[in-house]
Amino acid sequence: MTVIRFRVNGTARTLDAHPSTPLLWVLRDHLGLTGTKYGCGIAQCGACTVHLNGQAVRSCQVPLETLRGADVVTIEGLSRDGDHVLQKLWAEMNVPQCGYCQAGMLMTAAGLLKTSPHPTDAEIDNALSNICRCGTYPRVRAALRRAAQQPPGTGGKVSHG
Amino acid sequence: MADTAPDTAMGAALSLSRRAFLLSVSATAGGMALGIMPPAASGADGAGAEFSAWVVIGRDDTVIIRVPTPEIGNGAMTQVAMNVTEELACAWSRVRVEFGAIHRDYLEKGVYSAGFLPFFAGHGTDRQRMKRALQLGASARERLKVAAATRWKAAAADIDAQDGVLTHKPTGRRLRYGQVAAEAARVELAVEPTLKPESDWTFLGKASPAKLNTPDIVTGRLVFGIDVRQPGMVHAALRQPPVHGGKVKSVDADAVRGMPGVRAVVIIDPANTKGAPIRPKATFTLGDTTAQWGVAVIADHYWQAKMALDALPVDWDANPAAAAFATVEHIRAAVDARLDKAEGRVLRKAGDVAATSGARVVDGVYATPYCENAAMEPLNATALVTADGAEVWCPTQDQQQAYWVVIDETGLPPESVKLHQTFVGGGFGRRTQADDVRMAVAVAKAYPGVPVKTIWSREECFRQGRYRTPITSRFRAVLDDGTGLPAAVEAEACFTGSRPTFHLTMGFDDVPYFTSGIVPNVLIRSSAQPVHVLNGAWRGPCYNSHAFIVETFIDECAHAAGADPLDYRLRLVNTWDQSWSDCLRTAARHAGWGRQLPRGEGLGIAISGWPQAAVHAMGTIVCTVAHVAVSPAGEIRVKKIDVAFDCGRVANRDAVAAQLEGGTLFGLNAALQEELTLVDGAVVEANFDQYPMLRLADTPPIDIHFDALSGHSRMDIVGEAPVGPVSAAVGNAIFSAIGKRVRGTPFSRHDLRWI
Ligand code: FES
Ligand code: FES
Repeated sequence: MTVIRFRVNGTARTLDAHPSTPLLWVLRDHLGLTGTKYGCGIAQCGACTVHLNGQAVRSCQVPLETLRGADVVTIEGLSRDGDHVLQKLWAEMNVPQCGYCQAGMLMTAAGLLKTSPHPTDAEIDNALSNICRCGTYPRVRAALRRAAQQPPGTGGKVSHG
Repeated sequence: MADTAPDTAMGAALSLSRRAFLLSVSATAGGMALGIMPPAASGADGAGAEFSAWVVIGRDDTVIIRVPTPEIGNGAMTQVAMNVTEELACAWSRVRVEFGAIHRDYLEKGVYSAGFLPFFAGHGTDRQRMKRALQLGASARERLKVAAATRWKAAAADIDAQDGVLTHKPTGRRLRYGQVAAEAARVELAVEPTLKPESDWTFLGKASPAKLNTPDIVTGRLVFGIDVRQPGMVHAALRQPPVHGGKVKSVDADAVRGMPGVRAVVIIDPANTKGAPIRPKATFTLGDTTAQWGVAVIADHYWQAKMALDALPVDWDANPAAAAFATVEHIRAAVDARLDKAEGRVLRKAGDVAATSGARVVDGVYATPYCENAAMEPLNATALVTADGAEVWCPTQDQQQAYWVVIDETGLPPESVKLHQTFVGGGFGRRTQADDVRMAVAVAKAYPGVPVKTIWSREECFRQGRYRTPITSRFRAVLDDGTGLPAAVEAEACFTGSRPTFHLTMGFDDVPYFTSGIVPNVLIRSSAQPVHVLNGAWRGPCYNSHAFIVETFIDECAHAAGADPLDYRLRLVNTWDQSWSDCLRTAARHAGWGRQLPRGEGLGIAISGWPQAAVHAMGTIVCTVAHVAVSPAGEIRVKKIDVAFDCGRVANRDAVAAQLEGGTLFGLNAALQEELTLVDGAVVEANFDQYPMLRLADTPPIDIHFDALSGHSRMDIVGEAPVGPVSAAVGNAIFSAIGKRVRGTPFSRHDLRWI
């Protein structure tokens, strides 16, 4: 067991758990933040995507021991009131089906918009490699295209992301 | 059980420390009394007035609609709420949904099942269910009017109800629903109100609201089964025999005893299933849900349980029945030999196939492989079992099935069992049987008094599937020398797998080609090849394979006749429902059928109907046209898909479009790249690195066309039908592009180089 201090959604956390515990399970089991999902455990599906020090990463691949002093943002912290531009578009365009993959989709897409606020189709295709078994890809693409066209400064209130 | 600890009892927890085990029970027992409702399921505020098991109206005007249908991504839960809302005339913005509970249905003798089962799938919009939901809404609305009339000492007939407000028309006085809900809930109507005519609907068929659970999805708040948390809950990781039907020979529990957080090792022995005390009323039979042998590690956290399970030495006894089927090639050889005998059961016979002759004969064997449902939420359930009760939280596709499985596994009387439906992270048939729920209960009953969440790792899900039933079919047609249409068709489909529940013939012998009389001589048979690998339901069970096979075969007939594949199909369905022709023409028109394409590109067309193609104006008919490019190196790229369909009418246009898009992609993935293989009788593929899934970058534009809708009064199910034709459409497009015929999926395994 190792004591690790880091921040999640702006709140300081101290955790004493096995150093190999993936961030995914730290969030879900130890911190009760179950919005981040387990889909494969091997970096294939992206359901576990969170922002680590501002970058979209697959949390199943991030062991606790590497988190010292890190800043983590999960789907629960993407916006204060669920009003990130992508969250609004996702509802408006009826993107989710079962919804299980969607936290990962949203965190990946939000990560893309941070580095590239007006992504091209090719950038969207490249960045969104998450798996959705329900087949929401056409709508994810359409929603991201809409977001890409938004004038700057309409990106919703992003609290920590 | 030579290697196990001396205090091992089969099926009981191997307590790592008796004292710790007992302590953990007593420390949590107080908070574990049965009847605790999970926070997610208890949305009704104490002030809510219950009009029926379905409808609760709060003082703050919140309307809670309890829906017995699970929400698996198809919007069924929202649809049922829309149906109630249409007649209740409440404000949609104040509607909340919860899941109706099967144990309440049992205790209150069918409050949710009267008229229909709490059954899975998108049947929420079908006529019978819709009528019931509309009636519940109308009834509550009239009771609200009576309550307001009593208060105002006015006539109920003078009261108008709209958007959650009651207005006394002569005086203009107003009351909100919440203000009279408590009195209204006590009103009994002498007669049930008549439903308004559909022409007066203001919401259904007009609005396409987002699913009610979308806000919780996009903020991560939605509680799927895997997200359930209960006080004192522990976690289990599960492993079942790599070769299906195998047994646990020995387990070295000592090897993981000291690992962090580990509480117990459990051996699951199917002999410990207690059996239901009364005759089960499961939706399906329980025979396909029997427990498998298995081992589980219970720990404080899932990661600890998983690490310990990975480190746990387990010896398995393989299933002797698996020896003959070490690989899928062995299975295929047995199936081919069976088809060669042509001794299958006759499903359909007309005319005299043997006496038909002609110059052109089409003869082929077509096949689909094992596929895994691969819902994104891994299988899981949380169970608390005590001496006199059980409570289970699970993402099931069918509460009724899951409820009876819990009763059967524990032997408890139904009134002592509670089941809580959670949201479902995809099902596609895998969560209909509740064998997953049974295994979680089998683990939890070995660790009584503590809620145990059992999660199947992705690897476990892949290797312990209840897979798509592989189907291998021989088709032979003799074409009429004059018309080119089949004068005779002889076929046999061989189902692989020992579970006849999933040897279904929809899409095979019931297609209009073979039932309408257009082909005068027909002989259709089916047979089965038992194997140890467990087969089950996979979105549009069996239909998904038959549609590929039939529509590939018909395409071959068209080419053999020198006919255009669209025109040929139009002639074949000419004497059947107009809807089939309309779907064919509509999809073809939108796709630009008949246009010139560059070398290596082609269009393919296919059509099928689910679930009752042989009955007039039933089910959903889907026609798919695929535009495919094959590179000289043999790589397939699907450039565009056009879908036309007829399910009668639609209640929520956008939700229907989403299902057709999703179903099409589900079928497309299988067509292109899905196949499970065996080594030594055990499934090889364990995760998405070995079992590829389409990603956004691979997804073609998919256009769903509504202009073939017949307007027939049915609103039939749309989730399964689109899975059928897409594989054949893509395969037929490959043929049109490069002249190579693909008679089996996945197409990625075929050599499609053309230079
Ligand atoms: S769970 Fe991390 S990528 Fe799938
Ligand atoms: S919405 Fe169900 S897996 Fe993506």
